[in-house]
Amino acid sequence: MNNIKSIKSLIVTLMLALLISIPMSLRAETSDIEGRWILSLQDDQRLLVGLLEIEKTANDWQAFLEGGPVEINIQKDHIEIIADSRDVRGFVFNRRMTGKIKNNQMNGSYEQEGAAAQKENPGTWSAVREKNEDSGLTLTSSATAGDISGIWTATQELDFRKYTMSLTQSGKDWLEQYLPYYDQPDVRCTSIGLPALATYSFPFEIISSDDRYTFLYEYQAKVRRIWMKKESPSEFMPPSRMGFSVGSWVNGELVIKTSLLDKTIRDFRGELISEDATIEERYSLSTDNQTLTAIIIVDDPENYERQPIRRRQWKRNANTEIFPYTCDPDTFYLPMYEDGEFQMYIDRTPFRF
Amino acid sequence: MFRLIKLLMVLGCLISDISIAHHSFTAEFTAERTVVLQGQVEEVWFRNPHVRYILKVQNSEGVNENWDLRGSPVVWLARKGWTKDSIKVGDIITAEGYPGHSNRKMLSIIRVTLPDGSMLVDRAPE
Repeated sequence: MNNIKSIKSLIVTLMLALLISIPMSLRAETSDIEGRWILSLQDDQRLLVGLLEIEKTANDWQAFLEGGPVEINIQKDHIEIIADSRDVRGFVFNRRMTGKIKNNQMNGSYEQEGAAAQKENPGTWSAVREKNEDSGLTLTSSATAGDISGIWTATQELDFRKYTMSLTQSGKDWLEQYLPYYDQPDVRCTSIGLPALATYSFPFEIISSDDRYTFLYEYQAKVRRIWMKKESPSEFMPPSRMGFSVGSWVNGELVIKTSLLDKTIRDFRGELISEDATIEERYSLSTDNQTLTAIIIVDDPENYERQPIRRRQWKRNANTEIFPYTCDPDTFYLPMYEDGEFQMYIDRTPFRF
Repeated sequence: MFRLIKLLMVLGCLISDISIAHHSFTAEFTAERTVVLQGQVEEVWFRNPHVRYILKVQNSEGVNENWDLRGSPVVWLARKGWTKDSIKVGDIITAEGYPGHSNRKMLSIIRVTLPDGSMLVDRAPE
């Protein structure tokens, strides 16, 4: 009889231990995975870097890359992340990353999925915990203001070009009625402005003056002034798609904060940038002064639940110049007329700006 | 001579060249396949925000069709030596690119072969 009691007691003890141990292991797993990571993806051509945020929900995991949602699956120490992107030509595809989590590190392999003009060979990826001072940029900044004057041509490094963003209901409502191409400002030669212009692959020139930097963007021939000695715009300055920008050098980075923006879209997908949005850009120069790198962060709580992030890298290029840009919207209007879509376009006038 | 012009459809090509997209190519073109067209240039629009050529192509049934060819902005092509005089009205060219969605007769240009055999490539920086 005593033996039976002992066995029962042992079974109960074991069951209790099991019940306690399962949630403990879950908590341990959660603390190992949850949080902010710097994700690096390397193929045979380039290195991409992005901010990966992983969170535990009631029953599952959710994750975000550069401010946009990604699909995530975690089984014990195995992890799979699927992130959408668009290539330089504008085609949308996925990157599927699979790997393991161990000792506060993740690593594995990745491959491109879906049709894209910009083919990527399979490569490797890794993620480490974000440090407080870590912007995810790989270059070492100089301690003081660098000489960023000159003409810069874009590389295809660093930028994940995350396609979908985490939108608020207001942002979703806007996107639902947005008609790609027909509603896009620059196809009809209207300024697309910031942040898009700072992320495009066309060259730009920086001119240094005593009180400002002047950015000359080749695309749409846009001029932008970064004020280094004043903090607010002149009275009655109207909003614009280039906004009002103030800059300062902080720990070797040129930090630019832009406000007074006019409505525009973030990217080809058409997410809205509101008039209340602000943009922070942090530019850093490599120690040999030949590479310029930037992280571009949009803060627009009206439309985005998380801040959209883009990264760009440029090489100094003394062998080119900024070409003139004359724009003729007839290449947009006439085909639309020939295709019988002009009335549709006119009817959509209230949706454009 | 124009009778000799043929429409060539090449499906499933894997093309690594890249052009600068300044508007939503996903809205207009598909990356699922590529197309090769041979025809005579009817119109030349060498302007920003994107260049445009109208190409008259004879299809497999002998019927002439006009295709709307789109390329990168002038500033980008010019940097590669592709100018307004590179392709002229009347030229017989071969153009390869991504076709429009829903069988629309549009082509996002990847490369163009000129009458003298030289090639123009519409692609982004390395």
